[in-house]
Amino acid sequence: MSFYFISIGGTGAKVMESLTHLCIAGILPENERLFISAIDPDVGNGNLERTSTALNNFAVFQHFSVGNDDLLFKNKISIVRPFPFNPTGHDKTLDDLTEFYQHNNSPVGKLYEALYTKKERETTLNEGFRGHPSIGAAVLAKKFEEGSKLTAQIEKTIGEGDNVKIFLAGSVFGGTGAAGLPTIARLLKNNLADYADRISIGGILILPYFSFTPTEIKDELFARSENFLPNTKAALKYYSERENLFDATYFIGDSVMTAVKEFSVGSANQRNEAHVVELYAALAAADFYSRPIKSPKIFKYICRHEQNRFSWSDFPMSGEKFVQFARFIFAYVHLIKPVLADLVSGNAKAYKYPWFVDFLDGIDVTAPEVVNFNFYAEAFVAWLNQIENLEGREVFLINPAMFEANPARIVDKKIFSALDGNKTNLTLHEIFYRLSEPFNFDSTVKGFGKFLRRLYDSCKI
Amino acid sequence: MNRKTRTAVKIFLIAAATILCTAAAYYLGSNLTGHSLATASDNMNYSRWLEKYFVLTRTTGLFNGFCALSWFLAARFFLEIDEATGAGKRIIWAALLALSAAISIGIPHFYAPILGIKLNGIIFGLFFAIFSVIGYWILTIFTTPLAFKYTPLGAQLFGRKI
Repeated sequence: MSFYFISIGGTGAKVMESLTHLCIAGILPENERLFISAIDPDVGNGNLERTSTALNNFAVFQHFSVGNDDLLFKNKISIVRPFPFNPTGHDKTLDDLTEFYQHNNSPVGKLYEALYTKKERETTLNEGFRGHPSIGAAVLAKKFEEGSKLTAQIEKTIGEGDNVKIFLAGSVFGGTGAAGLPTIARLLKNNLADYADRISIGGILILPYFSFTPTEIKDELFARSENFLPNTKAALKYYSERENLFDATYFIGDSVMTAVKEFSVGSANQRNEAHVVELYAALAAADFYSRPIKSPKIFKYICRHEQNRFSWSDFPMSGEKFVQFARFIFAYVHLIKPVLADLVSGNAKAYKYPWFVDFLDGIDVTAPEVVNFNFYAEAFVAWLNQIENLEGREVFLINPAMFEANPARIVDKKIFSALDGNKTNLTLHEIFYRLSEPFNFDSTVKGFGKFLRRLYDSCKI
Repeated sequence: MNRKTRTAVKIFLIAAATILCTAAAYYLGSNLTGHSLATASDNMNYSRWLEKYFVLTRTTGLFNGFCALSWFLAARFFLEIDEATGAGKRIIWAALLALSAAISIGIPHFYAPILGIKLNGIIFGLFFAIFSVIGYWILTIFTTPLAFKYTPLGAQLFGRKI
């Protein structure tokens, strides 16, 4: 079995960010390879950039020799190139992409002019479809098969004997996601019709969960949050009336619209903070992957225990493994990372850190993969912090006091042993002690990966 | 070996090493210079000197063993590492080494006159070598709890597993 995840648009990219963190933590079912693909005309989108960084880091971590008998870095990933797939190209308008100049004054051209406003036709699409799914649907239908290697890659996987589960994530209230979800699902279904019994397509339709106020209203085309609900209504009507494109469909949204701190039409400035809805969406992907390829259709609702508070009991997963991973990351940023550079430069004495002498002496801890892990650890803490600090929602996955320092460091050391609110004996000292104790790994566990594995194991209750 | 067993084994090792060091100091000291020191002491014969010397070695060994045990107990139960920069604690280990040296030299220096026996430089050298070097320094290299296992000077020369 192989898993495919296709993120469509900015919201899809944010779901992919959550999924990447879950994947690194080994939360995905089975040890299957996850192929990741992204479709976004706004290739410089800050959200996508952050996700790409996490993904590229994970691609590096896969080479750490941590062994195959535990969850850490368990699911291997492959990035489907081009990543992201940009269906619009650079500085192109809808007129350019539909080659309107060839149809000018023809009946088709006149119909086209009736369907799209001048502004929609002449706006460059570098920042995406700007909340206009009608533009996106036209572009994606035309360009997906020309430029994306996705169908070929899936066919190759099937040809190698694997069954394939494909999961699409995107919003139904914006531009790219709303246009891409049904379009891409339909194209894939048609293209892969010969393998219908060997593929399963799932999708998460993300309903509105944030809002924004444009700070600079120029005469420009952009998504408007006041259109989110009408867009959603129209999209849901479409999905209810048309043939069901997905073998499994998940819906998630929020009645509290979290205000986006800094509005941006798109591009690198569009760096929206992570949201618990995206974490739920990533868990939906994990749920989809865990089901048999042809499973009977079921309808399930998920609910929470308290109106404005989310805790582990509200999630469709056990928090234990995730909390172990979070403990591992916090222990790393607090106990290990601050002294690694000093140990290499000789500014810190190695005798103080038995784990350094036992695991890392002679290993280049300035190597790019170690530096990447340092960056990733900070990024994970930042992501979790954003999820926990939502306006209007209280999210308690990890004790919020863990996020007091930036860069990440634990200010009140006592709370480490009750990271998720449940008191344990696992103090920072205990982790340090465990790191110094004898261990038995097979010979494939080595290098920096061996140290990470030891630290991860030390964080187990 | 689990942590509790390891702790029990190490406490046993410290106790055993303390007894062995005391025995070594007694037998080596009495054989190397016992006869001459007994002769040099007032109102003393060899067997009486041996009796007093045994009290001296036992007292020194006991106090020195207390140093090794203190380091072990402190490192095992009281010193907490909850900051990357708070590890090592060699200053405490070194302070106890200094205390051990003070005991090895100070107890013979002050207690021998009270016991009425004379000592010479060989005994002082022997006490320092057996109690401070072997009975504290070397012993702590092998018995220090694992979180501080490389804190004793020279401990990194031995890749300790327990």
